[in-house]
Amino acid sequence: MTYEEFADSRLSALLRYAVMLTGDPHQAQDLVQDTMVRVQLNWRRVARSDSPERYVRRMLTNQYVDWRRGSWARRVLLRGEPDEAVPAPSDHAQSAVDRDQIWSWLSRLPRRQRATLVLRYYEDLPDAEIAEILGCAVGTVRSCISRALATLRAEYVEVCS
Amino acid sequence: MIEDELRAAFARHETLAPATAPIRAAIERTVVRRRRRRLRLRLGGTALALVVAALVGVPAMTPDRPQQTATLLLEPVPSTPTGALNLLLLGLDGASPGGGRRADSILLVHVPADRSRLYLVSLPRDLQVPIPGVGTNKLNSSFAYGSMAGKGDLTHGYDLTRRVVTEVTGVPIDGGAVLTYSALRKLTDAVGGVPVCLPQGIKSMHTRRVFPAGCQQLDGAASVDLLRQRHGLTDAVRDRDRNAQRYAAGLLRRIGERGGLTNPAMLHTLLTQAGSGLTVETGETSLPALLSVAGKAAAAEPVAVGLPVVYAEKPFFGFQLDRATAPAFLAALGEDRLSEWTAAHPDRVTGLR
Repeated sequence: MTYEEFADSRLSALLRYAVMLTGDPHQAQDLVQDTMVRVQLNWRRVARSDSPERYVRRMLTNQYVDWRRGSWARRVLLRGEPDEAVPAPSDHAQSAVDRDQIWSWLSRLPRRQRATLVLRYYEDLPDAEIAEILGCAVGTVRSCISRALATLRAEYVEVCS
Repeated sequence: MIEDELRAAFARHETLAPATAPIRAAIERTVVRRRRRRLRLRLGGTALALVVAALVGVPAMTPDRPQQTATLLLEPVPSTPTGALNLLLLGLDGASPGGGRRADSILLVHVPADRSRLYLVSLPRDLQVPIPGVGTNKLNSSFAYGSMAGKGDLTHGYDLTRRVVTEVTGVPIDGGAVLTYSALRKLTDAVGGVPVCLPQGIKSMHTRRVFPAGCQQLDGAASVDLLRQRHGLTDAVRDRDRNAQRYAAGLLRRIGERGGLTNPAMLHTLLTQAGSGLTVETGETSLPALLSVAGKAAAAEPVAVGLPVVYAEKPFFGFQLDRATAPAFLAALGEDRLSEWTAAHPDRVTGLR
């Protein structure tokens, strides 16, 4: 597979995945862009792996988990011109997003916990594969998920009761 | 429950994903910038190695590529080769992303034993040849196979092409050089432009340039442009090879006028200006020795010929050696009798002026 074929077939899925991780289209774009630049520069190594797709998703996830807060905060704040890649949300959509409680709770979770949730409930991956992507034991994945769910449940109970 | 809420929330926010096209363009731009930076770093490294080699003293250095160039230029001229010499000049095509690079202009420079003049023999890039470890394929692909096996190293591409050319022509190759578009451009500009005389006008497919019939002085960008043109020429690829011969003859004349052929330091300056896109390979002969030989022969107007080939109208649609005329030509090349052969076949000689 060439880099072009990979980008043609997988770029939109990676962008959706990055949106779930970051919760923000701009950050998702930065995350995917950073990762894909490295992917293209090191394509030979990526193509040699059993599954380039899994390899790239692992790169992207690790980049997200390890991303230093300062670096992306600056990137988002200093963006000068409006970006044509990201549709400007209409007021109606924006207010709907604002009302989306669970989405905002997700943003308060530690990144690693959020990543496990996205991998299990958005990508529907088995725990073993999640563990491989994050480079940790299956047990760690399960405890991560249960802790994240417990946090969300606590918020949920608080609001609804 | 909360898990279902999560799935629903993820599904709802899929629409937030930005469009792919602008992001792909942005990735592409960044990659180009990074690659350029890497190249600059590598160039800087080469320059540094040259300086170190000059300062520390050449004999102490292990013979590594950039230092070897320095070694060859700093050594006193050793015994000059006396027999006929054959040099191989390869012009590469543009680098396609992810793909290998091919040698689209293949020029064998024959220096006869009497050093009377240079013979420029062009080999068509579509010549069907046996490539070691690959099988039968086109001549220009041998460079790609070689450089891919060497992880993009141009010298590996040169090596495999050299072996293939030796196999086809039967003559040993004593040295040669590989030129990329950028090296060609910089080299042309470094000598102050190259005079080229064209028998027919050419309209560029790639730019708006129009090359009128007749003689003209070309700068670097125009030279690269001209050497890429094959569509619209009467004899397509073979006419482009003839233009490459005309350009090579003009370039030699210009280097000669600047004193580069007799003065190694001057030539070194020119080659350094060509940058990392130019790879020089001199085999067992030293560069000054080659230059003193080629310089003498280049004083006269070179004679340009094409390898006698016929086009195969069946798969895989490339050139094959012409059974009627090629054996005599290759024998003349191997036995250093090209002056006889070209005198007997004036119609095969490319008009350079």
